[in-house]
Amino acid sequence: MATRRWSTWTALAALATSAAGWAATVQLPGIDPVEGLRDKTPGHIALTHARLVTRPGHVIDDGMLVMRDGRIVSVGAASTPPGDALVVDLGGKTVFAGFIDADSTYAQPAEAATPANAPPAVAQPYTPVPQQGSRHWNNKVRPERDLAQQLQPDPKKAEALRKLGFTSVLSAPDKGIFRGQSALVTLGDSTRLNDVLLKPRVAQHLALEFSRYPAAEYPASLMGSIALIRQTWYDAGWQRDYQAWSARNANAQRQEANLALDALQDSLAARQPVIFAAGDELDYARVLAVASEFKLKLVIEGNGREYRDLERLKAAAVPVIAPLPLVEAPAVEDPERALDVALSDLEHWEAAPFNPRRLAEAGIPFALTASGLKKPEEQFWSQLRKAVASGLDEQYALAALTVQPASMLGVASQLGSLEPGKAAQLVVADADLFRSDKARIYESWIDGQRYVLHDSAAPDPRGSWQLRWSGVDGPGTLDVSGELGDLTVKVGAVSFPASYAGRTLTLYPPGSLLGLPGERVALSLELGAAGAEGRGLADGEREFRVSATQSATRARTAAAAPSSPAAPAPVRFPAGEFGRAQLPVAQKAVLRHATVWTQSAQGRLDDGDVAIADGRIVAVGLNLKAPAGAIEIDARGKHISPGIIDTHSHMAVAKGVNEGTHAVTSEVRVGDVVDPTDMSVYRALAGGVTSAQLLHGSANPIGGQGQVIKLRWGADADGLRFGAAPATIKFALGENVKQANWGPQFNRRYPQTRMGVEQIDHDSLVAAQEYAAALAKPRKGAAPQRRDLRLEALAEVLAGKRIVHIHSYRQDEILAFARLAQQFKIVPVFQHILEGYKVADVLAQLGAGASGFSDWWAYKMEVADAIPYNGALLQSQGVVASFNSDSDELVRHLNTEAAKAIKYGGLSETDALNLVTLNPAKQLRVADRVGSLEPGKDADFVLWNASPLSSFARVEQTWIDGRKYFDRNDDQAERARIQAERERLIAKALPERVKALAKKDRKDADRKEPDKSAETPAELDLVHYANLRGPYHDSEPVNTCSAQEAH
Amino acid sequence: MKRFSFVVFAALFAGAVAAADEIVLSGADLHTVSHGVIERGEVLIRDGRIAALGARVDAPAGASRIDLTGKHVYPGFVAADSLLGLSEIDAVRATLDFAEAGEINPNARALVAIDADSEQLAVARANGILTIHVVPRAGDGGLLTGQSALIKPDGWTWEQMRLVDPVGVHLFWPTARMPAWLPAQAQEKAAEALKKKLGAIDAAFRDARAYRAARQKSHGGTTDLRWEAMLPVLERRQPLFVHADDAVQIREALAFAARENVKLVLVGGVDAWRFAATLKAREVPLILGSAHNLPLRRWESYDTIYSAAGKLAAAGVQFAIANDSGSSGERNLPYQAANYAAFGLDRDAALRAITLTPAEILGVADRLGSLDVGKEATLFVADGDALENFTKVDRAWVQGHEIDLSNRQTRLYEKYRGKYEGKAKK
Repeated sequence: MATRRWSTWTALAALATSAAGWAATVQLPGIDPVEGLRDKTPGHIALTHARLVTRPGHVIDDGMLVMRDGRIVSVGAASTPPGDALVVDLGGKTVFAGFIDADSTYAQPAEAATPANAPPAVAQPYTPVPQQGSRHWNNKVRPERDLAQQLQPDPKKAEALRKLGFTSVLSAPDKGIFRGQSALVTLGDSTRLNDVLLKPRVAQHLALEFSRYPAAEYPASLMGSIALIRQTWYDAGWQRDYQAWSARNANAQRQEANLALDALQDSLAARQPVIFAAGDELDYARVLAVASEFKLKLVIEGNGREYRDLERLKAAAVPVIAPLPLVEAPAVEDPERALDVALSDLEHWEAAPFNPRRLAEAGIPFALTASGLKKPEEQFWSQLRKAVASGLDEQYALAALTVQPASMLGVASQLGSLEPGKAAQLVVADADLFRSDKARIYESWIDGQRYVLHDSAAPDPRGSWQLRWSGVDGPGTLDVSGELGDLTVKVGAVSFPASYAGRTLTLYPPGSLLGLPGERVALSLELGAAGAEGRGLADGEREFRVSATQSATRARTAAAAPSSPAAPAPVRFPAGEFGRAQLPVAQKAVLRHATVWTQSAQGRLDDGDVAIADGRIVAVGLNLKAPAGAIEIDARGKHISPGIIDTHSHMAVAKGVNEGTHAVTSEVRVGDVVDPTDMSVYRALAGGVTSAQLLHGSANPIGGQGQVIKLRWGADADGLRFGAAPATIKFALGENVKQANWGPQFNRRYPQTRMGVEQIDHDSLVAAQEYAAALAKPRKGAAPQRRDLRLEALAEVLAGKRIVHIHSYRQDEILAFARLAQQFKIVPVFQHILEGYKVADVLAQLGAGASGFSDWWAYKMEVADAIPYNGALLQSQGVVASFNSDSDELVRHLNTEAAKAIKYGGLSETDALNLVTLNPAKQLRVADRVGSLEPGKDADFVLWNASPLSSFARVEQTWIDGRKYFDRNDDQAERARIQAERERLIAKALPERVKALAKKDRKDADRKEPDKSAETPAELDLVHYANLRGPYHDSEPVNTCSAQEAH
Repeated sequence: MKRFSFVVFAALFAGAVAAADEIVLSGADLHTVSHGVIERGEVLIRDGRIAALGARVDAPAGASRIDLTGKHVYPGFVAADSLLGLSEIDAVRATLDFAEAGEINPNARALVAIDADSEQLAVARANGILTIHVVPRAGDGGLLTGQSALIKPDGWTWEQMRLVDPVGVHLFWPTARMPAWLPAQAQEKAAEALKKKLGAIDAAFRDARAYRAARQKSHGGTTDLRWEAMLPVLERRQPLFVHADDAVQIREALAFAARENVKLVLVGGVDAWRFAATLKAREVPLILGSAHNLPLRRWESYDTIYSAAGKLAAAGVQFAIANDSGSSGERNLPYQAANYAAFGLDRDAALRAITLTPAEILGVADRLGSLDVGKEATLFVADGDALENFTKVDRAWVQGHEIDLSNRQTRLYEKYRGKYEGKAKK
């Protein structure tokens, strides 16, 4: 007896959760020896009474789908099923093509356990691990990794994904920069990859990854990551060319083997797509730039903020795999803590559910993925339905799970729609699957195999039933309502529990209802097409019977399509606070009656006018005739100066200003990682700054390439570039590069002394010379030259096309580099150069610029002799001197920094202001465009309420290219908008936040005591995490020159 | 009485330049701070004090007269929250003495670690920084960091430089602010650490009170240096300086001070303007930090910090302005005040916030902070508005003793000017 009952339960459980035993299975043709009996079950199946969504937008209401051996044979209106087919009646349920998740980690073997000992709390010098196999030298470059060689299908995980409606997933490698190649697999329940692998090496996967503190492996910055990616593609091309050349030349020197570069050939030739992860909204542009440089067949793995850069994505016409991230309501419940929530974050919370809709409306092809959700089983459908409720058309939602991913992954002929010839991957669900949380997924079909979650043909028990009893007196009618998983059963006013599983409705009426003793009587009804038959036990031993007919049904009706809500206001750029709806326009104007600091031969005009048109200065003088159509601006009592120029800034640099892992990293480019959302740009603009050079830090002797920008707040990264400015590069000398202040453990990297610094510069320049020479005179038939981005930048230095800005302090190192510069005929600009006054004659002779601080000193040993008279002494010897900021804060008052040179060394007012206007322009070699107010130059100027040299001066307007980029009045209006928007969004977020907190409280109460033995954390030094800081940050001072020490 | 003896002591051991007995500074505009500007006035200095000032003063025949026509005389600036003397080269640990190990160090005394020969002191005083409140800082996780001292930048030793010691005990309130971009693990760790720190503050005050009670009951017993140093704070004889910048810190610090019934001085106060009404109502003085700081938050206006002082002044809060850019930047104290003045603070109020108000908050307004008869002659002569970056400080007196304004930087300047002018030999 007991045994029998047990076996019944087992069978039921199996039916409910796994492949239905009776369904046809399909054995794929293969070579494996058959164990036991061969499975020759016919795989010919007809699904009838099905609502077929053959592809997005195409529905056959009462249709039939026939499949044979795992392929769809026919799809059409209801008709007679083929005689030899197994008929499965779907009872009107809806059939979609099986869903595809294009970004999954399914079936990937667990990572080898990391050593138990925690990473060191302090940074350690990088020690390379001996490499295995013929790999790329960098650990993060693993394009040869082929998941089809590694996957281990996991039926349990497959089932969890099938429950969401997925029938196939792309299992994609998720670690490293070149991450390797993905595999498309079905979610069948075989444990053999041979059975489920649909397509190996679907795509090469890339991400802008870099190592994190305290690791110190190259690359450790976003710009380093981009540089490594570019170099690797060039190397793959070089390998291809070299091999072709070798084939033609019998005596060719053998090239070293490199399986990593071999593995890149397909994607380099655009035969294989490249799926490139964009970690944040500024990465789209970065990823697109790399893809277009190498003509890759790109698919972007998105991040849920695509709506913030739609125009670019639309123009690129590149497909996107978009996640559905759960954006929690920001912490706004405590008014003081709520101060720390940015408007851009509040806006994102509101806008995130609209992201898929925005993609659809922009016509950008996109797939949706469950990746990134912590609990996809709970969150995937609720997030997707939230997107639909936010106006995403259901057809697009379906496409994003079917035809779109199929097409991106190159399997559109196999998957994605219900068409003859395609694989029989289906999902059977309620028609309102995309809009109702009550909709169910009943079953899925993969390769002709049926996986049942809920019996789609099971009758719906809800409604009124007429009961007939034999052996007992029971009530005549029964009323069933509620959800299938949570039914309410009522007889008159008496309600009692019930459950419905398989096709068995089990009721637990009170005994009194049947005139029986006992609190509850178990009574089970088997539901059939015509009615129900059932039985129960009275007094625990006497069987009685009941039959029932359904007099009225109350099956659920599909939820109606929601009306499309209004989308949030169009995004500004940057999003949120102080963003712009559009860029300012160039004005034709004449500013009159101002004190004009021309910084030119015209000197200072006491009652001067400045006329501008088409972005340029047209005239500067007294009583100017206004250009036709110019607006008149009364600047009486005001001062006009040229825009301030900062030669040394680290603002607007995303995710690390120092590569610094190698002594020489001239291949990295700040220009690749400009962050146009950095509020420092706007704040500097409000301090009268119009141009700045964004420099790599000083953690290594030869750093990266700089980027000169104009502070066109509201423009994107490209829009900030100062096109006319020549290219630059950062070099550095002294304490930072010899790691003097990095901690005693940093004592191995060359160089550790100023002797070594001079030699590594010398050696690098010689290498660049030889590289340039080899490129300049290619021998006919010679081996293809490898393009070396590191040496290329230095070759440009030698060719005079790239200006060296060299971080320097002490006179010995300044002199040493000056002599090297003479030897290699380069004219650098010395940065910081606080002991420049000691060798001003040498600098003058070299023609080098000197850009320092006005009065900073004593922050480290090499600045003990820094004096505020430096600028004046340099100037006295004919050196072009300037003051810079190296600080997002100091940059806001460079005008008064310049004023200090009057006190320290007696500069004239004009010469003092030149330190932050004309002289930096000369140093950046843009003095023909900016730095003074002269006809023909760019209309970059500042309107002040007092002398720009006064401590009490305030910027009223800052103009760039004849456009007003800052106006204190506009700023005041913007504050009011920010205030109102914050209030609105905080009020909106509060209820959700309060609910979330209550939930968290309950969870916390359930949680066990935290581990008391956990160590007290060391003080967090934000500088160490600088490379993690994404866009839309506050102004934490993390972008400093060296990884360990500021300046 | 006690205070007087310090002055005598200091005068006896005064530095290198001998002070004339009686000096008349004549012809300069006198920025008294307490009662406006006396144009082309005179100051009589006698016995280290201002004996008289006005349009003309009656000076004895033997008094030496210094003609300062066209110049400006100001009371010495008071650096109200400084590191001077405790720090020489930031990156060289051997030269840093401002942060003791551990969380609870109320007993540590800033005074005894002040290097009278610090190059930084000489540089700061050359720009008119003539009174300095030297404050022990929080190192790795420090909370109660020690006792501050008020000094003058003149004397052979810290004993001679001492004006008031100790001034009070300093508490650095831990912050809950954490950039959202930090990894979750780091966030959690920081939140955990914060909880522990707040507990440690409570525990320290509880223990100090227990110590006090035990001492009152049984005179004698063992001495605990930490709690001994807390007694004047608990008894409201000395202020507790709480360093707190963001709104949450300030809110908690205000609640804490009320709970503990201590005489609170708030220091830093980036967000203090958001509490202006409370500070005013509770008469909590504030030592406001530098204007030269970035707003804490992305959404805040670029001038959120610049305009804070004006808002505090409008609300009637008593505040001094300090410089928090480290000891080597202390000379730029006046420009912090000026920057606040550019954005809404009255210029006279700005000057007062770096002279008389800090003297009031630090309890020495009867001696310092303005040009008034009877006050110490701690003052300087400038060639213009001392809040302007281009203005040069020409001469300075500390307690009537003229100090040497040359320093390492001026000497290097002269040396290398000599190089280029062909005068100096190397």
